[in-house]
Amino acid sequence: MATVYQQLDPGSAQFLTTAFPQLKNLGTNIPVLGLYYDPAVEEAAFWLVRAVNYSSGNLAVDIDWYADTASSGDVVWAVRVAAVTPDTDTQDVETKALATANTVTDTHLGTVGQRLHRAVLTVTNLDDLAAQDDVWVRVARDAANAADTMAGDAILTLATVSYSDV
Amino acid sequence: MAALDATNRLRTWAQAMRDWPTNIGWPAVTKPELRAAVDATDDWIEANQAGFNAALPQPFRGAATVPQKTFLFCYVAMRRAGRLRAQED
Repeated sequence: MATVYQQLDPGSAQFLTTAFPQLKNLGTNIPVLGLYYDPAVEEAAFWLVRAVNYSSGNLAVDIDWYADTASSGDVVWAVRVAAVTPDTDTQDVETKALATANTVTDTHLGTVGQRLHRAVLTVTNLDDLAAQDDVWVRVARDAANAADTMAGDAILTLATVSYSDV
Repeated sequence: MAALDATNRLRTWAQAMRDWPTNIGWPAVTKPELRAAVDATDDWIEANQAGFNAALPQPFRGAATVPQKTFLFCYVAMRRAGRLRAQED
């Protein structure tokens, strides 16, 4: 048994028509492409991945992020998934619902405001995920959560989904 | 001019974070701490508007409306914060 990793790049994110993070490309010596999550309104980005060789168990989602302006406080990240089994599920895909969110609270480590952090989130609400499913992964900042105390935007640079293979 | 209600204070707090200029840096505070500062600022304006009005010279004090006096206050404060650029600059 090995671990499968799927990287979710900000440039390949998909969005609904409202409440989505802004995509910006900054960086002096390297391009730093990031999704800018608002501190006051919940915004979400989506990725569609195929659960190649998924066997069973929870998903791990590593969220790499940094602060736009702050150097203290906590950020609450929330991940929801929607799993569809092609040729089997009869649910209208355009009205498919997401499973309940799982969250993780990550603390800014200070010293330098724009240092990179990694929040590790476990997705236990799997929406009956099966091998080879198409999975929509929704990553949001739970800005209205009382535990989300960091001022200013949180910038997502990369998310990585991992799971055990068959 | 009445103090801001909770909704307007919330929106002031949210937009301040979005518009915060990078050239003045960010204070080491969290969202709740910034929100408390927004509330305190509005409370201070409410408590001290009479004193501000009394400090204004005539004929401006008698001729200007409350929104006009508030506008002037904001422009002076923005200039002090380096956020007001004039044509003469």
